[in-house]
Amino acid sequence: MTFKILNALIAIVAGVGGALILYYLLNKLVEMLPSKTEERIKPFVFIGPAFAAIAVFLLYPAVRTIILSFADRDSSEFVGLSNYTDLLASPNFRDTLFNTLLWIIIVPAVTVALGLGVAVLADRLRPGPEKLSKTIIFLPMAISMVGAGTIWRFIYEARPEGRTQIGLQNAIVTAVGLDPVVWLQESGFRLNSFFLMVILIWAQVGFSMVLLSAAVKGVPTETIEAARIDGANEVQAFFRVVVPQIWPTVVTVFITVTIGVMKVFDIVYVMTNGNFNTNVIAVDFYNQLFTNGNAGYASAIVVMLMLAVVPIMVYQVRNFREQEATR
Amino acid sequence: MRARNTTRLALVATSTLLLAGCLSDGGGDGGSGGDAGGDGEVEVMYGFANEQSDAFIEEVGAWAEDEGINVKFSPTPDFDKLVRSRVQGNNLPDIAIFPQPGITLDIARSGKLADLRDVLDMDALEESVVPGILDAATDEEGAIYAAPMSISVKSLVWYPKGPFEEAGYEIPETHEDLLALQEQIKTDGITPWCIGIESGPATGWVATDWIEDYVLRVGGTEGYDKWVKHEIPFDDPMVQEAAGYVEEIWTGEGNVLGGQGSIASTAFATAANPMFDQPPGCMLHRQASFLALPGSFPAEVIEDLDNRAGVFQLPPIEAGESPVLGGGDIAGLFSKDDEDSIKVLEYITGEEFGGWVETSGYISAHTGFDLSQQPNETMKEISEIAYGATDFRFDGSDLMPGEVGAGSFWREMVAWTNDSKSMSEALTAIEQSWPAS
Amino acid sequence: MTAISTGVPPTPVKGEKRARKVMGSDGGPGSGQKRAGKLVKSVLFVICLLWIVPVIGLLVTSLRTADAANSTGWWTAIASPLDFTLNNYAEAADRGGMAQAFVNSMAITLPATIIPIMIAAFAAYAFSFMHFPGRDALFILIVSLLVIPSQVALVPLLQLYGNFGLNGTFPAVWLAHIGFGMPLAIFILRNYMASLPKELIESAKIDGASHFQTFWRLIIPISTPALASFAIFQFLWVWNDLLIALLFIGPGTNAPMTVQLAGLLGAQGQGWHLITAGGFLTMLVPLIVFLSLQRYFVRGMTAGSVKG
Repeated sequence: MTFKILNALIAIVAGVGGALILYYLLNKLVEMLPSKTEERIKPFVFIGPAFAAIAVFLLYPAVRTIILSFADRDSSEFVGLSNYTDLLASPNFRDTLFNTLLWIIIVPAVTVALGLGVAVLADRLRPGPEKLSKTIIFLPMAISMVGAGTIWRFIYEARPEGRTQIGLQNAIVTAVGLDPVVWLQESGFRLNSFFLMVILIWAQVGFSMVLLSAAVKGVPTETIEAARIDGANEVQAFFRVVVPQIWPTVVTVFITVTIGVMKVFDIVYVMTNGNFNTNVIAVDFYNQLFTNGNAGYASAIVVMLMLAVVPIMVYQVRNFREQEATR
Repeated sequence: MRARNTTRLALVATSTLLLAGCLSDGGGDGGSGGDAGGDGEVEVMYGFANEQSDAFIEEVGAWAEDEGINVKFSPTPDFDKLVRSRVQGNNLPDIAIFPQPGITLDIARSGKLADLRDVLDMDALEESVVPGILDAATDEEGAIYAAPMSISVKSLVWYPKGPFEEAGYEIPETHEDLLALQEQIKTDGITPWCIGIESGPATGWVATDWIEDYVLRVGGTEGYDKWVKHEIPFDDPMVQEAAGYVEEIWTGEGNVLGGQGSIASTAFATAANPMFDQPPGCMLHRQASFLALPGSFPAEVIEDLDNRAGVFQLPPIEAGESPVLGGGDIAGLFSKDDEDSIKVLEYITGEEFGGWVETSGYISAHTGFDLSQQPNETMKEISEIAYGATDFRFDGSDLMPGEVGAGSFWREMVAWTNDSKSMSEALTAIEQSWPAS
Repeated sequence: MTAISTGVPPTPVKGEKRARKVMGSDGGPGSGQKRAGKLVKSVLFVICLLWIVPVIGLLVTSLRTADAANSTGWWTAIASPLDFTLNNYAEAADRGGMAQAFVNSMAITLPATIIPIMIAAFAAYAFSFMHFPGRDALFILIVSLLVIPSQVALVPLLQLYGNFGLNGTFPAVWLAHIGFGMPLAIFILRNYMASLPKELIESAKIDGASHFQTFWRLIIPISTPALASFAIFQFLWVWNDLLIALLFIGPGTNAPMTVQLAGLLGAQGQGWHLITAGGFLTMLVPLIVFLSLQRYFVRGMTAGSVKG
């Protein structure tokens, strides 16, 4: 056991140290170059290792995926665009797309709004309560998905009418005299999808709170004081002074959450596996690949996801350029 | 020159990093893989956990120590998907114990599984095990890719022993008897059946077992096999007839505790438990042998299983036949040239192996198995049901393509249970979802 | 940890004018105004209550037997705490080989958190402050890879690792997490760095600092909040990751806690009561990390120190 711990320690030190040495040496070497060449090469030294990691772990698989998306289910023959046309023609997949769209519309907005709300409100508490409330909001992020799945089962669980309810929501519903509802199978108005979204929001608000809280605390007090002196009330000061200054962070958080939502997987997989009309893209992908063994459909789904995100990225870069120009 | 130095330094730095990691490996078991063969270690990958895994490790471990074989046990959650990934990634175990034959045959297509006819004495095995069980992992050319290690029985109906006997009920011999019993229980003011098919992501599979059980009864093994292989349409009249039997029980007024509407939301694992309430919430529950393990029946019932719970075979349509639907763990071999691996495979698929049934709730596939090793009468009875089977068939949904067997079949059964589709609409929808190729 | 609103002296940064007052600290000297009114408190209280109910549910369930949890609601058990049992914890720890698994989890998570942050910080610096051809295109490419589900890469990686005999080793998981976490790390850090004032870099340049020096001495210290935020998330993801560890390490001597825990769940879902206990055990470390890194989210260490 001690041997094991020692080994782990060596692994940690050598792993981290090795990476550090790599940068140090690379930098030293580049600095030996004539300064013009140095200027030109240096950016690539800085992004090189990151890009190498991305190339191996994401780019190569992505390119492979794009190619496979034009091939049949066991990747033995090219079939042109038929994976795409088949998928888009299938009502099940259109439902999946619609569900994913609902997730994208609702979850990021709610997560950012709640996270910002908590960050701003908690900022006004004494240090003790502030820390406590933030820790509570953060808690769900620390729970592994299997654990979270288990507990939400005890919230949504439904027992037949007349038997003891062990799901919290149905206990409340039956206590006020209504019939128990099978929440996760209730697909009218996509109700069950909303209940799944609640879980993701519950898990993700901690993320947006942490980032936004750092930003809110970065807003210089003077600017707010100035607004107050000009006669602005709290709410006005918040929207006219605080929000513009933290806007870049809000956008970052919003996009990050959006991207997380686009590939939301665990929650749906664990709770319903996409049944009862709750399917989303990432779960569909996973099941196409590993349950149905259909590499063609699976790849085509991922490619559509990649295409869907490009507009967001273009917006992001344009936004960045504008900021640069105005600075 | 400089550029070359850079590369070299980068290489050095990277390799320190990797080296350090390999150090951490301790046992140096990185890169263990089936194709390595003769690496002095036999990796056995399987999907069961807890008591089963403990008992398995204990028995196989003790034997391997005597034989001087080093066995690495890899109990793996989400087995089906991970074994696929490991095969695609060419990171093979030496032996894999599959929970169902569909995935075995699928993987056999990659050519990486050994044809066991070259390795084991198949004729002797065929003699010894429950009839029909070897067919499951046999391909069109007759190659056999897996041998059974243990089986489970699905065609079982459980009942609360005390109340059942007190009321003077008799064990039904035919479907007609079963329906008569159902009416008798109703007349006595008790709801006959407890049925639950909720299973989180896999909700619906219990319903597919019911349908399969009756397809096996109506169509016989021949019809059943054709249906599973899609040689007849999924909604063939024979299947419609079989589904009708299920429908009669599930949708009949007052037949099911909580009514038909509650079936899809009742968790399968604990659905039977109202049987043991005072007075009993129901008298009958059809489910596989695993119910007698912790996690399903209440702990007090498991402790006194023989006195609290009774079990009979889901009756055939006509007296005399004895079809059994079941499942099993079947072992396949990736390292065809590794003697140690072959020895392990021979051992775990042999008749002698099975001391672990005492805690695992499993049944040996060998009809000559010494039943005194079973921990209680109930498990002995279930074993005898299996060994007396005229036709043993594996769970058919496992053998169908994933789109159907783990997709539309579950989904449409739920839709039917929730009354949003009629049975024939559901069956037709499943037929339409069958992948083209 | 009183640092949060009494305001530790902010890291001295070029351009700092004076110690600043702290926004919204009630009772702090010079603030003179209590801003956390009843409304604020009750709104927060309600949100916190909603958030903690499922966690309490998990805790209570982990202290009950499986039979009890299956027969009555967990909230009813709070009334009779004497019935609580630690059996689930004992069994989860016992079967899961938790001591060994804990060491493994650490050995996996620490490098898989620190290394990518370092690499990403370099890249983010280049994307924010250096000019080179194809910069925006590269950035778009990297970030559009964010949406790739990591499952896509699993099979190719297994093959790749197989060639190098990496399967089952720690570096196999480190590298995978470095790769999968990289786009988000670059994205978050670059967005943060891009919000830093340009003059900061310019003035450093005028002082004759090289990029490397500017990066280490200036950018890294003032980027602490962003670095710490990302560190927390990467740590959480790696710590709670099941899929990658399962595939590239698998059960055995190198297995982390998540893999051991998942092994407790039987094929028919038996053993979920152990998962509730295990879920709590695995939660402790991330919480400690959060609480100890929280102080880096102090106001004043960020852009405001210069802008103000």
